[in-house]
Amino acid sequence: MTTTLDRARPRVEAGGPADDAGRGSRKVFFLVMLSAASALFLYPFVWLVVASLKPRSRTFADPFVPWPHPFAPENYLAVWDAAPMLAWLVNTLIIGVVAAGAATLSSAFVAFGFAYFRFPGRNLLFGSVLATMMLPAAVTLVPTYLIWNSVGLTGTQVPLWAGNLFGSAFYVFLLRQFLLGVPRYVFEAARVDGASYLDLFWRIAVPLARPALIIAFVFELKASWFDLMKPLIYLQDPALYTLPRGLKAIVDQFYQGGDPKWEIVLAASVITTLPLVVIFFFGQRHFVQGIATTGRR
Amino acid sequence: MRRIRPETRWAYVFLLPWLIGLVVFQLGPMVASLVLSFTDFDLIGSPEFVGLGNYAKTAQDPKVLRAVGNTVYYTALHVPLSIALALALALMLNRITGRAAGVFRTIFYLPSMTPYVAVGVLFLFLLNGQAGMVNQFLGLFGIEGPQWTTDPDWILPGIVLMSLWNLGSTTIILFAALRNVPRELTEAAMIDGAGRWQRFRSITLPMISSAVFFVVIINTISALQMFDQVYAMFFGNQIAQQSHGDAALFYVVYLFQQAFQFLHMGYASALAWVLFLVIMVITLIQVKVGNRLVYYEAEEHAG
Amino acid sequence: MPKYHPGRISAVALLVAALSACGGVGANSGDSRGGSGEAGSGGAGSSLTTMGFGLPDEIATVRVDAFRKAYPDVKVAINEGQFDEQAFLSAVASGNPPDVVYLGRERIGSYAARGAIQPLDDCVSREKIATGDFYPAAQQQSKYDGKWYAVPEFYNSIVLLVNNKAAKDAGVDPASIDTSDWDALAKLAEKMNRVRDGRIERFGFYPKLPEFLPLWAKANGADILSADGRTAKLDDPKVVEALDYAGRLVESQGGWKKLKAFTETFDYFGEENPFATDRLGAMLTEQFVVSAMAGTTPDADITVLPVKDRQGHPVNNVGGNAWVVPKGAKHPDVACRWMKTMTSADTWIAAARARADKRAKEGKVNIGTYTGNVKADDVIFSEVVKPSGHKAYDDAVKTIRSVQQAGFVVPPSAAAAEFTKAWQDAGNRVLLGERKPADAMKQAQQQAQQAIDEATQ
Repeated sequence: MTTTLDRARPRVEAGGPADDAGRGSRKVFFLVMLSAASALFLYPFVWLVVASLKPRSRTFADPFVPWPHPFAPENYLAVWDAAPMLAWLVNTLIIGVVAAGAATLSSAFVAFGFAYFRFPGRNLLFGSVLATMMLPAAVTLVPTYLIWNSVGLTGTQVPLWAGNLFGSAFYVFLLRQFLLGVPRYVFEAARVDGASYLDLFWRIAVPLARPALIIAFVFELKASWFDLMKPLIYLQDPALYTLPRGLKAIVDQFYQGGDPKWEIVLAASVITTLPLVVIFFFGQRHFVQGIATTGRR
Repeated sequence: MRRIRPETRWAYVFLLPWLIGLVVFQLGPMVASLVLSFTDFDLIGSPEFVGLGNYAKTAQDPKVLRAVGNTVYYTALHVPLSIALALALALMLNRITGRAAGVFRTIFYLPSMTPYVAVGVLFLFLLNGQAGMVNQFLGLFGIEGPQWTTDPDWILPGIVLMSLWNLGSTTIILFAALRNVPRELTEAAMIDGAGRWQRFRSITLPMISSAVFFVVIINTISALQMFDQVYAMFFGNQIAQQSHGDAALFYVVYLFQQAFQFLHMGYASALAWVLFLVIMVITLIQVKVGNRLVYYEAEEHAG
Repeated sequence: MPKYHPGRISAVALLVAALSACGGVGANSGDSRGGSGEAGSGGAGSSLTTMGFGLPDEIATVRVDAFRKAYPDVKVAINEGQFDEQAFLSAVASGNPPDVVYLGRERIGSYAARGAIQPLDDCVSREKIATGDFYPAAQQQSKYDGKWYAVPEFYNSIVLLVNNKAAKDAGVDPASIDTSDWDALAKLAEKMNRVRDGRIERFGFYPKLPEFLPLWAKANGADILSADGRTAKLDDPKVVEALDYAGRLVESQGGWKKLKAFTETFDYFGEENPFATDRLGAMLTEQFVVSAMAGTTPDADITVLPVKDRQGHPVNNVGGNAWVVPKGAKHPDVACRWMKTMTSADTWIAAARARADKRAKEGKVNIGTYTGNVKADDVIFSEVVKPSGHKAYDDAVKTIRSVQQAGFVVPPSAAAAEFTKAWQDAGNRVLLGERKPADAMKQAQQQAQQAIDEATQ
């Protein structure tokens, strides 16, 4: 299912040398256009990194000079003093991994139930999976808050990941589709050898679904890393903040507030973004495949 | 009574997490939200039943009107523009082959790896009307750029501009769909003498129509729920909230403020239900229209 | 606490309790929360959690150290960061708020009326907090409905800060600038303003609207709210006239849209502040901007003048932060001691000394620390702050001290937040040219009065 992108395509060889030349020049044109577009997409990053390495008085100066002058790497020392960035980074990482792990495993568990078993009510229940994909998160915002509040877990990080223990519609859907592609005899053979249903899940479904599990994991990690709303609602103690929540507090204080310290804001933005970009470069293939197959952003 | 087969019992063991989640975090809260929307619950005092009062208030609240207007305006600009641009990029990607396409695809997706808060922060700098990069860039061409972050008439266009930085995933979806259009079809049409536009209109577009339809729905739903970037940009502390008026007030931002800043949770629940119904209706309309326009033959090739 | 669907919630409670028991991430929340959770063991007095307060400088750290020294058994957890209304109210609603919160005094009425913060009369009498030492205007802002709800900290005055170069460019002696003559002021603003190719190079005179509308109204002889906080007077013709005037000032200098974007690039607290870089001609500002400039640009060529009303008397809208105790705070007694220590004359004087020593060591100018405590200020400005030899700043100290007695505040109100929002929104609409001042203020008046009536009924 994830191979559609790289699949070799049948090709009709047509056209003579003249046609090739036309195609060649057109290809150069497209390369130029795409390069220009790339420059537009990349330059804001360049500006961000460069500006974060300049002294405050030069933040807005020379926006088209793609290197920091004067060079002020001390901004990155100042940002650790101005805010507990390291704690926020660790919080984000731990919450992200826990949230992504929980969503991936629980979704796989449920997806296996939908893919392997035949039982009354299956279609109806799978319909509920599809339906909840459409449910805007805003609708359940207030009652979900009240649930966590009633058990005294507002003000903790638990609400940021615990909801993921119950499977996520997108990943249940993705993993079920994937598992449906596994030939049934693979499972039946194991059954004959005396494997339990849990064995089928752990020993066969999980290893086989690895590519799809990785996709679910990286997407949920990204989603958790992005999330602003839940940390806004549930976290009041700055020591517990995640990076986006922390960055928000930094903007409030050092951009919008009466105390502008743009170098801090910019350095914090870079720190919030950089780990994800690194993750993306390592897991690029999974992201591209995941988007093409699930449409998640 | 028929005996339940062990297999069925096991099936439900596997589904148990989903069922619990469905009841506790989806259906339960939805019903609760509906009930709350008929009260004046504010988390501190005891709630009172107010009937349809919150819904009546929704209809009269000028802020709701403004928030709906802003959100619709943004969606109406963001969805077509981002899809048109993404399609243009995807078409160009489809014309070049090999490693270069992969590199460009990576670059286009990179902005999507920037957390929305950081995107908002970054554009607060880039869009500053007096010193920001965007206006300095326009200035190179002799254009005097607008005051994107302070002029109420230009705040929303600025937000749309920012949103166009983030079309990597739309591009990837459309690119994937384009790569599945069998080349024989276009080649055949070319031999028949069809022009480039004609080939695009009558072959390529129908073949990728289901993907286009899909990104329209996804982008619409997420545009209607815009929150992170604008909240980071324009709704920080009181100073920021009050100096921009309502020019950047989006629906979910208002809902969030009502629920968690003013603790008007009953009213916020009514706002949430209105949003839910609106998204349902829009999705249904899009599906209905989509069914008529989408060429499902493409599905077979894409599958 | 909400009493909501008890049946379902208890089921969820079990589930969630099980989750949190095994939750790895939740576990690390305990230690950083700083004891409000585990404090039960030591009984009252063993810990204190703050919100909205940071430790950016010696004024903060010296006073916190004073508290730590006086109460070595108390474990103080300072959750640094600016006050955030949403986080504060969520914390109160969750029943697990911090013990003491640091916020702007103008908000106190709203939170007191709502029951989000506690009255402090017991605390004041038990700890014998010398409330009489506070400036009258600070006292007024810290009370609601006759009860103490807050203990005030700083006492910020508004002054006129002039860039001498801009004034001289306009052919005016900076010391002679007088805000009581509105026509002359408008002409001066235009002369000091500099625009080139549609880009603003120098903002001539920044009237600080809409924030300073109460000051502009007062300068024109009007109050925007009755003394009892019950009657809004936003559509008073004199308020409208003040807004109209200040709005035209901004319009004649390039319009608010551009000027606002321009001011967003100002770094008032750095060496490249808009006065040092000649990007501002003059502005109304709180004295802490002058104080920061004394530290960063001791040789700045500036003049600090009192703001005068149209009769020529000084006017000064004062403000500052205060400490409050939220409803449901676990350790109100400790919070009370904290507030007393932080705001007592001795503590302030020690902090002001530390600031003076630090600035002296760094070779920078110190214009003093302007506290809400009259007694502290008297000592600070007679014993701690010495003439620096930088005339501009030495004169500034005299000016600021001279306008302190003229300090007034917008009376506390149960709908302070809505009231403020109403006139600020109106001010913005006028500045942006969306509305005529009279229309905007008429609408603001209606909204404000309605909010006040709802909050006080």
